[in-house]
Amino acid sequence: MSTNTQDEHRLVERLVAGDRAAFEQLYRKNNAAMVRMCTGFVRNHATAEELVQETWIAVLKNIGSFEGRSSLAGWIYTILLNKARSRLKRDGRQVSFDESGEDNGLQAAFDGRGRWKDIPELWEELTPERVVAGRSVLEHVNAAIEALPSAQRAVLILRGQQGMDAAEVCAILNINEGNMRVLLHRARLALRIALDRLQ
Amino acid sequence: MLSCKDVTERASDLIDGNLSAWDVLQMRLHLAMCKGCDAFIGQLRMTRDVTRSVAEAETRQSADAADIEAILCQLHESKQGDG
Ligand SMILES: [Zn+2]
Repeated sequence: MSTNTQDEHRLVERLVAGDRAAFEQLYRKNNAAMVRMCTGFVRNHATAEELVQETWIAVLKNIGSFEGRSSLAGWIYTILLNKARSRLKRDGRQVSFDESGEDNGLQAAFDGRGRWKDIPELWEELTPERVVAGRSVLEHVNAAIEALPSAQRAVLILRGQQGMDAAEVCAILNINEGNMRVLLHRARLALRIALDRLQ
Repeated sequence: MLSCKDVTERASDLIDGNLSAWDVLQMRLHLAMCKGCDAFIGQLRMTRDVTRSVAEAETRQSADAADIEAILCQLHESKQGDG
């Protein structure tokens, strides 16, 4: 058993025992990401918040039957996505899983022979530390994530932020790995443009 | 020989370690000679790292106690409803 799996096993045991601090830890790591991802699918922030809250209740209610066949996060996001699907179905809609947003800032970047027209420059000012230190940078990045099409947004959050296994991300979103990589790449290209504006 | 456009299309696969040894070599050859692509790869790496740190920063922010209270309250009610 890896350290990660052991940690998760312990966390699950604490959740089963009704340990509030364990729930807070889980909530802090995932809640904002869940709302952000779900808003992409249901196109409404208040509905997303409501569904995420229902998901948390379902998680705590059913944690005793969690068997560890997926990761805990994988299980939680699957519950969330199922809730989003049934809510939308009830309302006669479908989960919006669009992949548009082709304009990634590179459409007109190259000449006929595939060479840069304007050569990119190194970012001297930007570091992950500066992002964490400055609230405005953090909000800028979050706004850029919220502007992504839903499929790109979901992959960026699950794979690029929560660090979930590629196979698990694919299973949750029902996409193949090649598709997932393309979505992650497109999402990064869009965020790169947003970060470039900070320079 | 890869064009700059080819390099940008494979950039995430390079920084995520998804390319074959041969493809990595082709990329490195291009990057050694092309300042623009080299800077682009640096920007994409930074984008990847910044995206992760944003999530980590959010995790460190304290959770809204009222929200957690509301969830636990509803959980309690729904359990009573079941029983
Ligand atoms: Zn180049």
